[in-house]
Amino acid sequence: MFNGLKIFGSGPAVYITPEKIFTIHGISITNSIFYGWIAGIILLVVFILVARRITVRPKGGLIQFVEVGVTYMSNLVESSFEDPERGAKYVPYFVSLFFFLLFNNWLGLLPGVGEAFQSHGNPLFRSFTGDLNATLAVGIVTMGLVYVASIKEAGLKDYLKHFFVGNPLNPMYLFLGMIEMTTDFTRVISLSIRLFLNVTIGEIVIAVFAYLGSFFAPLTAAPFTLIELFVGALQAYIFVILSVMYLAIAVNHATANHDQDLTDESVPETMRLQSEKA
Amino acid sequence: MITLADAVNTAIIGKGLMIGGGFIGPGIGIGIIGGNYMAAVGRNPEASKFLGQALVFIAIIELFGLLAFASIFIVK
Repeated sequence: MFNGLKIFGSGPAVYITPEKIFTIHGISITNSIFYGWIAGIILLVVFILVARRITVRPKGGLIQFVEVGVTYMSNLVESSFEDPERGAKYVPYFVSLFFFLLFNNWLGLLPGVGEAFQSHGNPLFRSFTGDLNATLAVGIVTMGLVYVASIKEAGLKDYLKHFFVGNPLNPMYLFLGMIEMTTDFTRVISLSIRLFLNVTIGEIVIAVFAYLGSFFAPLTAAPFTLIELFVGALQAYIFVILSVMYLAIAVNHATANHDQDLTDESVPETMRLQSEKA
Repeated sequence: MITLADAVNTAIIGKGLMIGGGFIGPGIGIGIIGGNYMAAVGRNPEASKFLGQALVFIAIIELFGLLAFASIFIVK
C-alpha cells in the first residue's frame, strides 16, 4: 500500500514514499533529501544576508520577520530554563531548528512540489518534512542532543534521579520511575510522527480538495493551503518547544531547590500512618 | 452463497468508522482545552499569555486524530 505512488487509485496523486532520483557513490539520494538540501541552502543564504545587514533600526520586511522570529524563539528557549544563563547556549541549535522546520514546512506547500517536475517518472521535489525518514532523523538528532545535554548538565546520577519522585529504594517509586524511563524512548517517535503526519495529511487534504474542485481547484484548495501555512508554523514551534521542555525538565530538576520536591520526608506522612496502623 | 461481507464493501464502512471514531475523541479534547483556556482568560486576562502552552497540548491531542487518519490507508 505504501509502496504505490497513487493511493487513491483514480483519484488525486498523493505521494507517501520518497523516491530515488540519483545516486552519489552508491548512496541513493531521494527527492525529499534533495528538497531538504535546497531548503537548507535557502535558509543559509537568507540568514547570512540578514545577519550581514542587521542594524539597530532595521529596514525592510524580511529582516524584521527574521528578527522577530529569532527574538521570540530565543526568549522562549531561555525562559524555559530556571537559570537563563544555562539555557543561552542551547539557543542557536533550537532557533535554527525552528527555522529549518518552518522553511521546510512552507516550501513544501509551493506549487511545483510534487509531480510538476519529474525525473525518471518520479517527482523531483518533495517536501522534506513530509517524509518519515527525514522527521525521524531530525527527531533522533534533537533527542540525542537533549539526552547528552541533560546528562552533562545534571550529572548521570541526578539525571537518573529525576525519573523518580522519591527514594528509588521504595518499590512503588522504583516501578513508577521505570515506567517514566520507558516514556523517554517514545519521545523520538511521537515528535517525528507528529510532524510527519501533520505535513503529509495536510498535503493529502489539499490534494483531495484540489481534485474535488476540478476546474475550480485553486478556489477549493486555497483555504486548506492557508490552514497548512498556520499548521506548518505551529508544528515547527511545537517540535522545538517540546524538545526544549524535555531538556529543561531534566536540567531544572538538577538545579532546583529540593524543598518543593516530593521527597520521602514530605510525602510519606500517610505511609507512616499506614505502617503504624499495621 | 453470497454473504453480506461479499455484497458490501466492508473496508469503506471500516474506514468511515475509523475516521469518525478517531476524530471524535480529539475533537472533544481540543474543545475542552479551548473552552478551559477561554474560561481562564475570562476570569483572569493575564492568563492569555499561556496560549502557547494550550497549543502544545492541542498538538499532543491532535496526533491521535492524525494517527486515525493515517490508519485508513492501511485498511483494505
